[in-house]
Amino acid sequence: MTGMAQAQLALRDVTVSFGGFVAVDRLDLAVNRGELRCLIGPNGAGKTTTLDLICGRARISSGAIVFDGTEIHQLSEFEIARTGIGRKFQVPSVFRELSVRDNLEIGSSRQHGVLHNLGRFGGAADRERLERLAELVGLSDDLGKQAAQLSHGQTQWLEIALILAQDPPLILMDEPTAGMTAHETGKTAELFNTLRGKHTLIVVEHDMGFVRDIAETISVMHQGRLLAQGTADEVSDDPQVREAYLGSGGIGHA
Amino acid sequence: MDFVVSQLLTGLSLSSILLLVALGLAIIYGVTGVINLAHGEFVMLGAYCAWLLQTQLGWGLLPSLIPIFVAVALLGLAVEYLVIRHLYDRPLDTILATWGLGVMAQQIVRLLAGGELRYVQMPAALSGSVNILGATDSAYRLFVLAVALGLFALTWYVYRHTSIGLQLRAITQNRQIASSFGINAGRAYRLTFAYGAGIAGLAGALISPLKSVSPEMGTGYVVDAFMVVVVGGVQSLFGTVVSSGLLGELTGALAYLSNDTIAKALVLAAVVVIIRFRPQGLFTPRIRA
Amino acid sequence: MSNKPILQLLIYGAVCLALLLIPAFVDDAFLLNKFARYLIFGMLAVALSLSWGYAGILNLGQATTFGLGSYCMAMALKLKTVPIHTGAEGLPDFMVWNNVTELPWLWWPFQSLPFAVAAGILVPAAFAALLGWFMFGGRVAGVYSAIITLAAMVVVNLIIVDQQSYTGGFNGITDLARFEVLGISFDAYARSTYLLVAACLTVALFAALAVTRSKTGLILQAIRDQEERVRFFGYDVARYKTFVFAASAAIAGLAGMLYTIVMEFASPTFLGVPLSLSIVIWVAVGGRQSLLGAMLGALLVTGVQGSLSESETFLSTWTLVMGGLFVLIVLFMPRGLAGIVSGLRRRGTARKAAAQQSGSVGATGAPAGRTA
Ligand SMILES: Nc1ncnc2c1ncn2[C@@H]1O[C@H](COP(=O)(O)OP(=O)(O)OP(=O)(O)O)[C@@H](O)[C@H]1O
Ligand SMILES: [Mg+2]
Repeated sequence: MTGMAQAQLALRDVTVSFGGFVAVDRLDLAVNRGELRCLIGPNGAGKTTTLDLICGRARISSGAIVFDGTEIHQLSEFEIARTGIGRKFQVPSVFRELSVRDNLEIGSSRQHGVLHNLGRFGGAADRERLERLAELVGLSDDLGKQAAQLSHGQTQWLEIALILAQDPPLILMDEPTAGMTAHETGKTAELFNTLRGKHTLIVVEHDMGFVRDIAETISVMHQGRLLAQGTADEVSDDPQVREAYLGSGGIGHA
Repeated sequence: MDFVVSQLLTGLSLSSILLLVALGLAIIYGVTGVINLAHGEFVMLGAYCAWLLQTQLGWGLLPSLIPIFVAVALLGLAVEYLVIRHLYDRPLDTILATWGLGVMAQQIVRLLAGGELRYVQMPAALSGSVNILGATDSAYRLFVLAVALGLFALTWYVYRHTSIGLQLRAITQNRQIASSFGINAGRAYRLTFAYGAGIAGLAGALISPLKSVSPEMGTGYVVDAFMVVVVGGVQSLFGTVVSSGLLGELTGALAYLSNDTIAKALVLAAVVVIIRFRPQGLFTPRIRA
Repeated sequence: MSNKPILQLLIYGAVCLALLLIPAFVDDAFLLNKFARYLIFGMLAVALSLSWGYAGILNLGQATTFGLGSYCMAMALKLKTVPIHTGAEGLPDFMVWNNVTELPWLWWPFQSLPFAVAAGILVPAAFAALLGWFMFGGRVAGVYSAIITLAAMVVVNLIIVDQQSYTGGFNGITDLARFEVLGISFDAYARSTYLLVAACLTVALFAALAVTRSKTGLILQAIRDQEERVRFFGYDVARYKTFVFAASAAIAGLAGMLYTIVMEFASPTFLGVPLSLSIVIWVAVGGRQSLLGAMLGALLVTGVQGSLSESETFLSTWTLVMGGLFVLIVLFMPRGLAGIVSGLRRRGTARKAAAQQSGSVGATGAPAGRTA
């Protein structure tokens, strides 16, 4: 399970610039099936932009993105999602006007067609699956609640549950523990460890404690480039990484 | 030669009216992001003010202009205060509310002044005609053109070279950041709205001797003005001038070549296509992909 | 939206039943004709509520599709009048006046009534699907799509007025035959016509309800809430929006056909700005996020208007009052009357829940139920 050839997701020489500003610069990144990869880097390093490029929210200027052997960078967002990529956003993004249950229902999206979904009215099998998911993220008692009424941590959990309902082979998580208490963060780490192997995960995080809890391999980005890659210890001993984090008070506080 | 010049002058006159009517809408839209569907009614009210001052007090059109500007601007201020300011974060609802306000204004005028057409006298001093390159044009039309350009220059100067203009530009960039630097965005929006309304009133007064005045006259103007803004680009005052010029000449030419109705339909269809493919307008560069 | 589907079905059913039973108590033909008109407006409100309330697509040109449906029916009924109102060789009278010598190809298929009825639904739906694909495929949304619907309506209206020899121009299509199906004749003032309208309204209302209750309806609401986000679950947002836009147009087209039967003519004013504005007002008053609320809003507003006088000054005053009411509703009651009802009900259940919880507070020490 090593080497670029078998990588489930590969970014090859990917560059994007926004009106002249290069946010991601000739980035090469390969992630294997079932791997849990952490992506770290100081503020503005281009982590979110990298996830945006993978899921089609932003368009690459040059290079290629290959997922499961097919190029996906020309597909539109919904087509990329259908190839099996799910995304959690940095600013938690759920359907605030809808109930938690309805949110989960939208997340479970194995069928995408208008006409197909016209004939579906929430069967019992679905309901059971969604209730199990809600239990997993501790929202069982809030199924009928409007998502707008959830706390920040709960909203994060809900969005994670939406992705689990979607059940994509590749999951992109942008700062899933932001705004969570230490206890909640611990539970998230537990959850991610159970997902390992079943899904491929790319997790952007600032919380180094959390990263150490879950990561096998860590990729460090700085100014749009891949700076270093390795285990937690390898990365934090890397002089280049130390330098990149200098201004921001060390790797744990970025 | 005469024919070409006179055709161009016809177009230019249409352009100056378009510019007058669109300027207020462009300012309001550009700064506050509100599409004011009652804009045409501000124009209509300006025209009725001119008619009222002329028939009731015997005022000529020229001395009426400043009072009309002030009156309609005050109305705009009130509308912003009572309605618009509650809706800045609900853009769809602003169109609805301003649409409703427009209907109300029409009905109030119809009830008070009647539904029949009204006419306003041209200022005597400007009722002659002028000879340009062998074609004749009415002095009043040239006057309207001059006022339109003058107002544009004034607006541009305020926006680019005064402190209130600087504040406005800061707010359009990012309202939150501007507010945190102590810029009173609410007040700036209110003044902008009042100024835009005032200019619309002025436009109505200036147009009134050229067209008949009626409660529904505004509907056509709001469409024209919106068209100018869409074609010119929301954030660009110069775009507004260029597109007024372009659309004025184009409408003049189309009206000469084919029938009026089809010309109107074609221009509207073009606007639809522009919104779809270049929502930022024809004359603004695309900033982000 | 009610979370109890059975209760909701019962309420919707009861209202429709009541509407269907009205002819049992009303004998006045003139009154029945008037009521039929109101019900047609109710259908238009359902159509707009579907696209605006559920999918967030504000259609300022809902009357376009209404008018198209109306013209489809009028064309067919006009051709049925041969030879009474038509000129030589079975040409409609206004064509003869405009020196048209043979029936234009566009009119040919309308010699078949079944075709016309199908067209009255499919033509508006296809028009909306095309416009929707054009807008939503290019991610035109919100205010801009509202403006496009308005502009498109004006364009269609101008074309109809301009092409006088094919459309009857400004006068529309008048002097129509009676609509007859399976030996039943639908006179504008007959009980049968009222029942036809009420039955169509019932069908339209329940069809719309089925859409909103399905998963597709849920996805549409998610699109209204956060269009961007929905894409990343693999849903083709443009397709969903186009679908609901076309479905709404189909209902409006059906309403338009019925309107021709009830009014006995078709006119370019049917695709006018004033009617479109009225539809938006009805839906805003009744509550855009409730199909039934929107429909009752239309019945209420048009009913009150119709029961008062119809003089010129009255109409101006009425329009003024409606304009003011509309502004107030937009400002302070975005969910309309239906919002008030569901707000009251929610408060009721919250109070009940709070009462139940406070019974158990002593035991668990939990704070009494948090109310929304
Ligand atoms: N659409 C855009 N237009 C212009 N610049 C952009 C755009 N998106 C991102 N950027 C810029 O690209 C750079 C990288 O941003 P990105 O959000 O990817 O950083 P990040 O690593 O996720 O940072 P953080 O840890 O703060 O979330 C930033 O300087 C940002 O300002
Ligand atoms: Mg980020």
